[in-house]
Amino acid sequence: MNSIEEILWNYIDGNCTPEEQNIIKRLIAEDEAYRLKYQELLSLDKEFSAIELDEPSMAFTYNVMEAIRTENAMVPLKARINKKIIIGITIFFAVTLVAMLVMVFANVNWSAVSAPVNLTYSIKMPSIDPGKTKIAVEGFVFFDVILALYLLDGYLRKKASARQA
Amino acid sequence: MQSKLSDTELIEQTLAGNQAAYADLVKRHQRFVFTLAMRFAKSREDAEEIAQDCFIKAYRSLASFQGQAKFSTWLYSIVYTTAMTFLRKKRVATDSIDDENTFIQLENRPSGNDINNVENKSRSFYLNQAIGQLLPDDAAIITMFYKGEQSLEEIAQALGMEANTVKVKLFRARQRLKEKLERNLKHEAKELI
Repeated sequence: MNSIEEILWNYIDGNCTPEEQNIIKRLIAEDEAYRLKYQELLSLDKEFSAIELDEPSMAFTYNVMEAIRTENAMVPLKARINKKIIIGITIFFAVTLVAMLVMVFANVNWSAVSAPVNLTYSIKMPSIDPGKTKIAVEGFVFFDVILALYLLDGYLRKKASARQA
Repeated sequence: MQSKLSDTELIEQTLAGNQAAYADLVKRHQRFVFTLAMRFAKSREDAEEIAQDCFIKAYRSLASFQGQAKFSTWLYSIVYTTAMTFLRKKRVATDSIDDENTFIQLENRPSGNDINNVENKSRSFYLNQAIGQLLPDDAAIITMFYKGEQSLEEIAQALGMEANTVKVKLFRARQRLKEKLERNLKHEAKELI
């Protein structure tokens, strides 16, 4: 069975049903013991509500943020590289490889396969024309793409470090 | 100056990479987290260490915060587990007050004269002193209930207990606090006489 104090604390905290509230209200109004106890607990409740919070040191926030920054800086580079860049590079090399294979197979003289003994496949090699050959153009494009990826990586790193600062 | 953004908005900004938003969250909750840590550690240095550790842990797991509970409730659960781990590590000796007989049972509240005798010291000083004499769990529940704007259900969630258990613990903690407060005031009055 609940003590008077327990009943009154429930009432003060608002943990009673409306019916219980009415009963307790009546008890407080009619019963001297309830009324005195209620007043005592009410003043205690008011006093407890006035508990003062402690203040940490002035540099507390700074220390927390500094600890977080230090922890972030200690993350190995491997873990900080953006996965999208890695996927992008992978896709780029896969596409390049496929394109090269397609180019090679497109240039194979497949009619030579039907020849019974003739093992001399005639592969059409691009004509060597310095400055304008297909390979030179592809190499140039390849270099440009690598350079673009490198610059993009540098830009993203700068952006990430600026955000952390 | 503290941000007027809600906790949820500050969390979203932090997750988007804005560390200044997290600094605002720290500023907003640091006093309460530190006070709660003080309930367990009893020394300012240890309490600061616990509080700092809590905010770092919260930052690390911020992405896992679902937003189903209040951020403060989630944060206080981190404070509680961190403080308990800290106590286990430090092996801080705490006197058991589970035994009801260890309390001095007072039949009457102090008279008005007693209080007048100690009017030079504020009542809040004695209240804080009395809280410091409680078990960490009791002190934490009282602090969370009165200063953390937490309901019984939220305190239960933070402490990993049933709401009814918290209700009983809160009732007992209030009784003990009342007794400690009265004892301290009586003791002070006797010394002055």
